[in-house]
Amino acid sequence: MPAPAHVAAAAPAPAAEFVAVAVVVVIRAAPLAGRGLTCKTVSMANSTFKNITFIVTKDCQLACKYCYLVGKNTKEKMSWAVARQAIDYIIGHSEIFNEEAVVFDFIGGEPFLEIDLIDQICDYIKRSLFEKEHPWFNSYRFSFSTNGINYHEKTVQNFVQKNRTHLSVGITIDGTRAKHNLNRVYKSGKGSYADVVKNIPLWLKQFPDGATKVTISSPDIPYIKESVIHLYSLEIKEVNINCVFEDVWEEKDDSLFEEQLILLADEIIDREYYKEYKCSFFSENIGKPLDRRLQNQNWCGSGMMLAIDAAGNFYPCTRFAQYSLREKEARIVGNIREGINANRLRPFLTLDRCTQSPVECIDCEVAGGCAWCQGENYDAAGTPTIYQRATAICKMHKARVRANNYYWNKLFRKIEKEEWKANKKVEKCCNI
Amino acid sequence: MLQYLIILLDDTSVSYCHYENTKTERRLISLDDLKTGIFFAMKQNLMIQFVYPDYELPEEYGQVIQSIDNHKIAPCSILSDETNVCVTCEWEKLPQEADTFSKEFVWVLRISKNNLFSNYEKLSLRIKAIKRLNLVITDVDTFREEDFSIYKKVLSHFQTVLKEQYSQDLYPQFNLLSDRILLDSMNNCNAGVENITLAPNGRFYICPAFYQENEMDSVGNLTIGPDITNRVLYRLDHAPLCRICDAYQCKRCVWLSRKTTLEVNTPSHEQCVVAHLERNAGRELLLELQQSENRFSGKSIEEIDYLDPFDIRKRERE
Repeated sequence: MPAPAHVAAAAPAPAAEFVAVAVVVVIRAAPLAGRGLTCKTVSMANSTFKNITFIVTKDCQLACKYCYLVGKNTKEKMSWAVARQAIDYIIGHSEIFNEEAVVFDFIGGEPFLEIDLIDQICDYIKRSLFEKEHPWFNSYRFSFSTNGINYHEKTVQNFVQKNRTHLSVGITIDGTRAKHNLNRVYKSGKGSYADVVKNIPLWLKQFPDGATKVTISSPDIPYIKESVIHLYSLEIKEVNINCVFEDVWEEKDDSLFEEQLILLADEIIDREYYKEYKCSFFSENIGKPLDRRLQNQNWCGSGMMLAIDAAGNFYPCTRFAQYSLREKEARIVGNIREGINANRLRPFLTLDRCTQSPVECIDCEVAGGCAWCQGENYDAAGTPTIYQRATAICKMHKARVRANNYYWNKLFRKIEKEEWKANKKVEKCCNI
Repeated sequence: MLQYLIILLDDTSVSYCHYENTKTERRLISLDDLKTGIFFAMKQNLMIQFVYPDYELPEEYGQVIQSIDNHKIAPCSILSDETNVCVTCEWEKLPQEADTFSKEFVWVLRISKNNLFSNYEKLSLRIKAIKRLNLVITDVDTFREEDFSIYKKVLSHFQTVLKEQYSQDLYPQFNLLSDRILLDSMNNCNAGVENITLAPNGRFYICPAFYQENEMDSVGNLTIGPDITNRVLYRLDHAPLCRICDAYQCKRCVWLSRKTTLEVNTPSHEQCVVAHLERNAGRELLLELQQSENRFSGKSIEEIDYLDPFDIRKRERE
């Protein structure tokens, strides 16, 4: 898929439905990692999930301007031999991969460019799980984030039909034609909007609850309101929209951002979109101070996931593979031949919020919902560490909190008034 | 807060810790850098620890070194009455009989696990002859599960030897066992926080191991002073596993941590288990001494059910 900039979490987790046999669970996709990355901290009462990502190709039809994948290329494609060895390792080591269910993610570049390999991988996974009577046999899911350009093609559609009951697909469309084409362009520079939007009806027919992810970088800010409303008009009911984590923000971007979100809030409330549509920018749970002890968890799920690239190397998430990193060396945590290096995973599994945060973040009065991407933290850090939180997103988060407060104050007042009116009517009826 | 400045006088200065000094070509620190380093230490109120190579330094160096109070860390091949810490990689070189001279300084024995496992009985006899022995295992990162069992047995043997000594009113210190009994809080190496190293190239490093591994890995020079990015990560309170740990005798080697986990503030499983086997052996020795000798009556070391604090974090997450 067109690897978009890894993005700051806006709302608590775009919820994608996970349907396993006999259970319906919600995968909380911590919205940290951009559309291609599904940084999932999958949770359900009494259940645990593993997220395993195959980086099947580093190629993409697009050259999105905000893409964090600095090392995209046409050469590094996963071979069947590497994929099979990875599957054998994972399925053969249930003492390490002991979660109750699994989500296999396929990302790129654009994963559907390698649909034949993916089909082979998925068939092999299903067969292996069955033959080994593995607990995941009834609890697996295949997940894709795609740029949607070749979604209609026969090979992709055959795959969708074949795996429909165990499949999640998200198509990335960034908003209006203007907003989308601002960043999401072919290598020639031509915008990709027309080629994506034509596949939206087919996608929504197959995945009526399909959600899209929108990435906001500095030049996108003026298009936020119209873009979200445009996506609603395409019948996409869930829009997960996030700011990039990188240090791209200009001086007045926070004011412009707040202005756009307030316009969006007015539109959603006045036109009552809130009854059927979701926008992740607005969440009741953000913007509160966080307790140092009780709310000290790491935001990101890296380390609990596993990503595998064409060379057969393991990463704590795709953002730690070399093609994602501008400044630092890849953080490899094992490979398909030697297995997981548990020592390399220890720092990820012991990370907490306060140890990696500067004092101003720990003491911040609106800290709730302020996200980070561990990969961007690592890439931007002064030393090769995952223990230094990048704070470029700070002013955008604060602007979001202000607009979010406005949204909920306005919405609650509206609902309150409506309830009051409804009660009055009831009273009148009773008096008669 | 910085308290010590370690000055490597030469590229071939002896290693007294986990790292291996692979440099064989002599490169003496320049006299100017040596003087500037001493001047820096005086202004910062730092105690200097000079680390010597195995050859005699030019006379003018000796004069400059003597201009300040210092500790001398030297290979046992150049022992003198000015030595404070004497380093050897051969256990056979530890004194066999106690003599006034040998009792004057601390011995550091750098030894591989296999060498230790093969010779611990003979080595333990030498403890009686010295005031303090710091035993440094040079390949902690290579420990496997079976090695942990052997190490436990080795420590148990040292426990018996020390108990015998204590019952005779002799109190040799042995870092792996007696330190934990005597300590009430963490006593780690604290490289980057309490000490910093000046290398022969005139640049600062977190510790000698960082210099040995990569000269480009410096953290300042004599003109600008030490400049440690992310310095907080060397502190105990920024080490999520170590700050909940009570293996107080552990070196908490940040170089080994970086080598094995890629983070200076996160030790490897092997470092943690080795430190906890020592801690537990120290606990057993303490209990024995309290029962049979009625010593250390105010001390206690809690019984724990883990060998790696990572298990506590795992339980919390579950």
